[in-house]
Amino acid sequence: MGNHDNRTGLLQRVASRREYGALALLVVTVAVVSAVNPSFLAVGNIRDLLVKCAPTVLVACGMTLVIVTGEIDISVGSMMGLLAAIMGIMTSSDRWGGPVWLGVVVTLGAGATIGLVNGLLVTVARVPSIIVTLGMLTALRGLTELLMRGEWIENLPAGLRFFGTGSVWGIPFCVVTALVVVALCAVLTRDTPLGRRIYAVGSNSHSAALAGISLRRVKIIVFTITGLLTGLATLVSVTQLSVIESGIGVGFELLVVTCVVVGGTSISGGRGNIIGSVLGVLLLGTVGTALIFLRLGEQATYWERAIQGVFILLAVLADHVARRKERLA
Amino acid sequence: MNGQPLLDIRRISKAFGGVQALRDVSLSIAPGEVHALCGENGAGKSTLINIVSGSVLPDDGDVLLNGTPLPSGDVRAAEAAGIAVIHQESTAFLHLDAEDNIFVGREPRRGLGLLLDHAGMRSQTRGLLERLGEHFDQRTPLAELTVAQRQMVGIARALSQSCRLLIMDEPTASLSAREIEVLFRIVRQLRSEGISILYVSHRLEEVFELSDRVSVLRDGRWVDSRPTRELTRQTLIQKMVGREVGDLFTNKSSSPPVGDVLLDVRKLTRAGVFQDVSFSVRSGEIVGLAGLIGAGRSEVAQAIFGIDPYDSGDVAIAGNPLARGSARAALRAGVALVPEDRQHLGLILPMAVGVNLSMVVLSSLTHSGLISRQRETDLVERLIRQMSIKTADAGASTQTLSGGNQQKVMLGKWLAPKPRVLLLDEPTRGVDVGAKAEVHGLIRQLASQGMATLLISSDLPELLMMSDRIVVMRSGSISGELSRAEATQERVLEMALPRG
Amino acid sequence: MKRSFRYWHEVVLAALLVGLLTWAGIVEPQFVRLPSQVELSTHMWELALLAMPMTLIIITAGIDLSVGSTLALCAVVLGLTYERGVPPVIGAAMAVMTGLAAGALNGVFVAKVKVHPLIVTLATLAAFRGIAEGISQGRPMSGFPDSFAVIGRGSCLGLPIPALFVLAAAGIAGLVLMKTPTGRFLYAIGHNETATRFSGILVDRIKLWLYSLSGGSAGLAAVILVARRNTAKADLGAGMELDVITAVVLGGTSIFGGRGNILGTVLGVLLIHETREFVSWHWNRDELNLVVIGIVLIASVLLHQVFSRKSSRLDAMG
Repeated sequence: MGNHDNRTGLLQRVASRREYGALALLVVTVAVVSAVNPSFLAVGNIRDLLVKCAPTVLVACGMTLVIVTGEIDISVGSMMGLLAAIMGIMTSSDRWGGPVWLGVVVTLGAGATIGLVNGLLVTVARVPSIIVTLGMLTALRGLTELLMRGEWIENLPAGLRFFGTGSVWGIPFCVVTALVVVALCAVLTRDTPLGRRIYAVGSNSHSAALAGISLRRVKIIVFTITGLLTGLATLVSVTQLSVIESGIGVGFELLVVTCVVVGGTSISGGRGNIIGSVLGVLLLGTVGTALIFLRLGEQATYWERAIQGVFILLAVLADHVARRKERLA
Repeated sequence: MNGQPLLDIRRISKAFGGVQALRDVSLSIAPGEVHALCGENGAGKSTLINIVSGSVLPDDGDVLLNGTPLPSGDVRAAEAAGIAVIHQESTAFLHLDAEDNIFVGREPRRGLGLLLDHAGMRSQTRGLLERLGEHFDQRTPLAELTVAQRQMVGIARALSQSCRLLIMDEPTASLSAREIEVLFRIVRQLRSEGISILYVSHRLEEVFELSDRVSVLRDGRWVDSRPTRELTRQTLIQKMVGREVGDLFTNKSSSPPVGDVLLDVRKLTRAGVFQDVSFSVRSGEIVGLAGLIGAGRSEVAQAIFGIDPYDSGDVAIAGNPLARGSARAALRAGVALVPEDRQHLGLILPMAVGVNLSMVVLSSLTHSGLISRQRETDLVERLIRQMSIKTADAGASTQTLSGGNQQKVMLGKWLAPKPRVLLLDEPTRGVDVGAKAEVHGLIRQLASQGMATLLISSDLPELLMMSDRIVVMRSGSISGELSRAEATQERVLEMALPRG
Repeated sequence: MKRSFRYWHEVVLAALLVGLLTWAGIVEPQFVRLPSQVELSTHMWELALLAMPMTLIIITAGIDLSVGSTLALCAVVLGLTYERGVPPVIGAAMAVMTGLAAGALNGVFVAKVKVHPLIVTLATLAAFRGIAEGISQGRPMSGFPDSFAVIGRGSCLGLPIPALFVLAAAGIAGLVLMKTPTGRFLYAIGHNETATRFSGILVDRIKLWLYSLSGGSAGLAAVILVARRNTAKADLGAGMELDVITAVVLGGTSIFGGRGNILGTVLGVLLIHETREFVSWHWNRDELNLVVIGIVLIASVLLHQVFSRKSSRLDAMG
């Protein structure tokens, strides 16, 4: 035990944060791809990339909070599918044909409700979150297919389509939404008591309980937020097309978890942040697009999922190595 | 002591599973007093402070703070009343920084109570840390701070809750000399502010330097409380140990012929845990390993057995070198370790008694790969008889057994592979008197049959009664060795306590 | 030595199964006829095969979410090797070895790198399926010879060949659990891994074998599936992990480890199978199955939580 000077240098602290690993990877990927194909950096392409990433960013914000508390939610993909179906059925002129605002409200409300149910099952019924969200993943997917009766939903009203295709001052609406949510979540984690409690619960749930924090309440809130954000993500992504197909959101949960873990959030809880997760989303989004721009041909897109899986393994390996070094230090 | 005491502990009793940890303990602490709590391992000090802080519910008695009884078993109520404990690692939020650790759960707010008052948190934290003389960057996660700094954060948290009584359990254990000086300065400062400190420590020179009064516990009972100036190191140790040296229990009657060296440990070292540990145990010998908690005894035993690593040195069993880091190898060489923590390491409590007993040797009770019911039942019945385990049914869950019987199951489990070297870590902890005697008899019997035994125990009379030799460890090294003739409780404790 | 009856859970499951079939028989008499049941049973074998090692894994408080994807990968290996002229029998062996290797990868991460099996298998769930998609470019491969298809469709000794594999697997798994030291160690690991290590048992090696076995059984299941359907494609087995885990958990194996047996798993598999088939038969809606299975999974664990607080059940000793 030394009496060394403990003012850890700024550079030291910066270098040890894992988000900078993700940032470095991102910069390298962009550099490599633009070297091979300069049109990668064209404004139109950057725009498309951001639009593609926006819904993932939204859900990743919620997922970060869930994983920080030490839980997981793999039902978000199926949730999105269901919410898309609900949204379509409520607003399409082929189906119920109700007003757009009602569709929006119901979609967001349903998302929050499903999140709430997840949270209750995890905290009150004490069912492990992997089981709850695995069961939900399936049940909601089935429900979606029942609702859609095998047909696509068409003729979405223009008002609804604004969310996906419209712009605000030249910036696509979905990107604006993502920016706003990221800002709000960053404020939540840094500037609110709830934010600190989320980290406390993930860091040491026993002490958190002793300090008077309601574990139940914190976890229910983060699951509900995730549900709500999934609803929002549905709103701004699905409406980019004029039809709602079947199979929306399949595999989405894995993408989100990968982005969050790659962005530096530890699966064991207590550590991670919103910005890191956003970087993770950008990194994986870039890799996906890069596959096309590297002119590897059509074949390359089939490898996207494999790359996701490998990324998560690498991220987990890195997390493990970093934790081991900490414990030995 | 004049005036009303700050803390009044009245006739507290507590038993854990049939073993009386505290019996009718009463003592009081004045406001603005540094009060040391001394006693051997197992005297009941930790249990007492856990009861005062509210994390353990007493069976009997109560605790009053400024005349008002504290609700028992309620940590938050105790904290609110002004009692704070400086905890060890397990209760800090290592991922969070000093500010969060101090304020989480009671965060200062602004903006209609929705937002954190960062400025307020920052300035309050700075104020608290400066009051304690600390200047480290309060935004660093606790995992990156030194132990001393984490302690300061703990003290800061206590101060921020206007504590009247600060409880510290072995606070100087991992501190450097300079850090200890700083801590002492803080303690004196707090005392001058009217805050009392209840201080559990084995470092007697610190007790004499810092405390105003000392209370001694022995075997769960209160022995004495006195102003420190009225005591000397000698008299304090005597009170801690207290028993008449003369009236000993049944001694090891005739020492049977002692044979070859079966366990030979040479210069065993593990950075930061133990260094240059060397000793040997012969066939038929019982060597006691004494020392305080944290001296490294269990770690040495676990390193010999291969559960924990070590950096350098070697271990030989009957002359043959033993591979490090492999429990399998140790077992095959004939070494068995009966661990200290029966619940988490020694036994699998939900499983049946018979299952636990046969676990280590199960692979040899097979017939073409399948477990032979007959051979297993034979072994289990034999062990139950040999250990006098009182259980209605070998299929009963081990959880249903009393502490003493669980201990016997653990012993039986490790005797099943017929080891020649037995490492026992606190074999009679949490065991009632009757079972204790049985275990002692068993250990002696094994020794007379040639077993080389290393007996780790914090129970000094037990150690003196059972051991042919006593090796004493202090802060990771061997501080001395005493033969049967030379060993007295005072001498052993003197060698175990930190210098001074 | 008298011991309290410990098979209540299995009795309840059997009762549920009988109840379900009875009700189904009333509503849809054709459903419970033997020929129909035999026909439907062909859908069950892969599920049953995968459920055996999964039971062992969950008993150790682990989990393997990658079985469906491993199946797909092995199927693709089989298809690609056949297309390149490798005799299907050799291809089948290669498929099983692929499965073993995939499982071993999981095992290394779980046992050596010590990452939580949930995360590892979630990652390999994506990685393996992704690789399958990548190397097959999403193409279906078919045209396997009849001599090969017999593995999936043929009979032997009056039973479908896949059934023989399942019976063998169940028999071996049951034997291991009940009668071998390793089986007992699995329960011990599930209850308290540290104490098990302290007892000198090679926990890491056991885990490595376990996950490899799970991968290997996925490979075998892939062979059976491809033989039966005469198609190998990268989307096979999608969502199968959910059915397998639900069957195992429903069968009484605790997700927290330390409890469970093969008899329960067999009953769980039967229940899941009959439920699915009946739902498809009666309502003609496959999607309803997903909803039902999802709810059953959550409900099984929920009820377990509710009841485990009330009773204190004794555990495995043969």
